[in-house]
Amino acid sequence: MYQLFFTPSWFNGYDLIFEGISLIVAFLIAAYSWKIYSMSKENRYAYFSLAFVLIGISLAIKMFTYGVLYFEPLRDGVATTLTLVVGNNLQFADLFYRAAFFLQMTGLLGAWMLIFFISQKSRERLHSYYEVSQIALFLYLILLICFVSNFKYSVFYLTSAVILGLTVLNYYKNYLNSKGNPKSLLVMAAFIFILFSNLSFIFVFLWDSLYVMGELFLLIGFLLLLYAYRQVKRS
Amino acid sequence: MAARRSRLELIFDILLSIQNKGGRIKPTHLMYKSNLSHKLLSQYMDELLGKELISVEEEFHKKREAPVKTIILTEKGNVFLAEYRRMREFTDAFGL
Repeated sequence: MYQLFFTPSWFNGYDLIFEGISLIVAFLIAAYSWKIYSMSKENRYAYFSLAFVLIGISLAIKMFTYGVLYFEPLRDGVATTLTLVVGNNLQFADLFYRAAFFLQMTGLLGAWMLIFFISQKSRERLHSYYEVSQIALFLYLILLICFVSNFKYSVFYLTSAVILGLTVLNYYKNYLNSKGNPKSLLVMAAFIFILFSNLSFIFVFLWDSLYVMGELFLLIGFLLLLYAYRQVKRS
Repeated sequence: MAARRSRLELIFDILLSIQNKGGRIKPTHLMYKSNLSHKLLSQYMDELLGKELISVEEEFHKKREAPVKTIILTEKGNVFLAEYRRMREFTDAFGL
């Protein structure tokens, strides 16, 4: 059975719960950002919404793929269905996991990239032709990284960590510009935890418990985003 | 130089000016408070009236011997102001 990297077996299933919570948070933020876009018609809100939809979809794909890997009844069900369709070619079932990991990585990297662009100050943002050409270049790089990551998973987490590191810097600038707004601090802290989760995932090959830490950091990050969102809604 | 206000910011400024005056304001005062030309304010007023965010009341002024208009912030207008503040909080917090 194909596996991108090994995770502690006692933790199988818990990570799906963690990701389920993160998925809900991502869709909540996406929905609110879309609501603002529908009122203001400003593209940045639509892009922000798209970024969180991509995160949600990536997490959903990961939950499904890992669900198939972890739970035998589900795995057998998928195998039976696939056997009917592909027959003896089921030996190529690894392709299913590779394709799922590829989609998951593309969505996440695309989302981090979008958030990084949006978190730039408006005067530093790229415009019109340059914006399109740069996005096209980054899209190509994202696809390339995701393809390579199927053979060397750490490339994906390393790239994510670099983009998230730069995003954290943007959020630090945003926090300073907002004159100590606690909600800006919460969002910055959330992205620091998401960065830590990606850093932990890079080194899973050294110690598989780092996967548990990475998932915990990811959950804390999304819970902080949820708390910031709740604070905004209550204000 | 201050950046140009977006359409939504202009609407917020108009409604906020009315709210700051206790929910009722004269059109001329509103023009100065929201820093808009007469033509632009009239355009936005039509839109806000259509969306029921404001209403207009006419009272007969004895000294002038003519009707005087008063612009009133509706409940829907108050809800919009609260929602806009939340939107701004979201924008600031998430660095948009």
